[in-house]
Amino acid sequence: MTELRFTEEQRDCLQELINVAMGLASDKLARYLNTFVHLQVPAIRLVDTEQLPEHFASRYEQQSVTMISLGFFGDQGLRGETIMLYQLANVDVIAKLLGYSNDDSSEAEMLTDISSVLTTTFLNGLAEQLENSFSYAAPRILSSRDQHFADKLASTAEQWQLALQVDIRYQLTDYSFNCDMILLIPGEAMMRLRLILDQFLASF
Amino acid sequence: MQLDWLVQPLLTQLNTGVLVLDAAHNIVYFNQFIARRADIQLSDVSGRLVYDIFADAPKAWLQRKIDGVLALQSPAFSSWEQRQYIIKLPHLRPVSSGSQHMAQNCSMLPFKAPNSAEQFVCLLIEDATDAYVYQQQLQHSMAQLELANRTDGLTGVFNRRHWQHELGQEIQRAKRYQHPLSLLLFDLDKFKQLNDQYGHQGGDAVLIELSGIIAALLRDTDVLGRYGGEEFGVILPETDMAGALLVANRICAAAGHQMLFNGHYINATVSIGVSSFSGQTIDELIQQSDIALYNAKRQGRNQAVAWQQQPETYLKKVK
Amino acid sequence: MALTALICDDSLLARNQLKKSLPADFDASITTASNGLEALAVLRSQEIGIVFLDLTMPELDGVGVLEAIKAEAMDCLVIVVSADIQPEMQKRVMELGALAFIQKPASAAKLADVMHKYGLI
Repeated sequence: MTELRFTEEQRDCLQELINVAMGLASDKLARYLNTFVHLQVPAIRLVDTEQLPEHFASRYEQQSVTMISLGFFGDQGLRGETIMLYQLANVDVIAKLLGYSNDDSSEAEMLTDISSVLTTTFLNGLAEQLENSFSYAAPRILSSRDQHFADKLASTAEQWQLALQVDIRYQLTDYSFNCDMILLIPGEAMMRLRLILDQFLASF
Repeated sequence: MQLDWLVQPLLTQLNTGVLVLDAAHNIVYFNQFIARRADIQLSDVSGRLVYDIFADAPKAWLQRKIDGVLALQSPAFSSWEQRQYIIKLPHLRPVSSGSQHMAQNCSMLPFKAPNSAEQFVCLLIEDATDAYVYQQQLQHSMAQLELANRTDGLTGVFNRRHWQHELGQEIQRAKRYQHPLSLLLFDLDKFKQLNDQYGHQGGDAVLIELSGIIAALLRDTDVLGRYGGEEFGVILPETDMAGALLVANRICAAAGHQMLFNGHYINATVSIGVSSFSGQTIDELIQQSDIALYNAKRQGRNQAVAWQQQPETYLKKVK
Repeated sequence: MALTALICDDSLLARNQLKKSLPADFDASITTASNGLEALAVLRSQEIGIVFLDLTMPELDGVGVLEAIKAEAMDCLVIVVSADIQPEMQKRVMELGALAFIQKPASAAKLADVMHKYGLI
């Protein structure tokens, strides 16, 4: 599906939009969480959805991974799904980060909470720059510690033509943890995204 | 076309709860969905703190969520799968579901008043009781199915497939931690004769009774399974050959008593082959117990025999 | 003599965005660079009055450029334009001699404000 690829200009544009969205998100999160947050985006990568499960299976090897999906819809036919991958060793850090004591929240709830906070603040920043706005579906846990996430990722990714892999590292004053975010965009919305990027580029 | 008139009747008829709070978490608005189920009137509670009106809501958690929505200006969500409900409301299927309270999906959305900086949070509450009930039923069925998948229909002990799977796991564990592990294979003596004399029902009754007697002798960590017709296996983790022989002899003694069936006393005895793990594959280990079992039969039945390296016993297997 | 400006960012979009956001009355000839090494090459070979500098770049990052400018005592003003707004980073670049720190995407108003303050327009 070569027609789904970005031109170098489009890729550069998207990378910059994502960098800025991350900057906006980190600023908001820092104020909300009352701690310094640094969201770093080393690079975005377009990944063939067919390679995606294999890529992440080897990345996480035998470690337990929880996979959480959140769907988004915007104007101009822009829509997609984000997949967040968490290593379970990080759950305690996430609980501290969100200010949860061991009181009343399950692991699943904490992970869906952090996912919606991280993805919606980031995607809002992206939408803002594109003069768009997104609405969101509630986050869902696609697989948890006892399931093989690569199989699940394979069946999820099958429905999408393009996957944009965004590695995110969250650094906080007192803790740091890694997680991965994957932006999945269906072929049709991908065409729209290219148009939107072209319009955006044309305004300069 | 002017459509403003639509908003009020839609909110009233909407099958989703709409609850709007101001930045201080005071109630600003709710629709009929909530009014009727909670039996409250907006005019009575408007301006009151939401936690005072819905006193059993998870306050600390809800505060954190709503503050997050306001601070980040991005939505938050709650699913019945993680938290069954946020505010206690009755639902419309109190008879068919096991729960009294409505299972809820909730979206919390940020809003800003158009001409001021005033901020609001809107909670959309959906009734997910049906999904909740289906999931409860599904989980129950799955649990039953899984149990059925692992057990032998007649005796209730593990079936061969699951038992062998467990043996594989125990071998891995023994190998990894260098712990002892032993295996018993045993067989009801002269089962064919028994069947001929008392019928298959008699044979079945003996198998059932025998499984019960042996299960009662074992530790929680031992694994009993039905290997074939009248053949059973026991996995003994953390047990060396000497310990395994003790257990095997205890089984021989316990099985050797008379069982009552249809007014007849049936005399059943068992022969047992014992092997211990020392690096063999699962098939080799089973084969060694099987050879020992054959030797127990050959030496007169009703006894336990340990496996020994005896090449001549490989010649032929007769029971 | 007209002012000379250098825009250094690895993203073409970011360079164009910045160019477009510069005040209309900022009369300068503009050179661009897409990483820190290119930027230093320009700075060593031309008179540059003002540098708009991104931080996260390949080859040599913005901090590296600032360090070189300081070490070689180059005579240019630097305004950092970055999406990376962590306080430590802001503090560090200011200590290295940056004039101001502007968050990406740089708004025209903010740019005009800063440039006016330092007499660039």
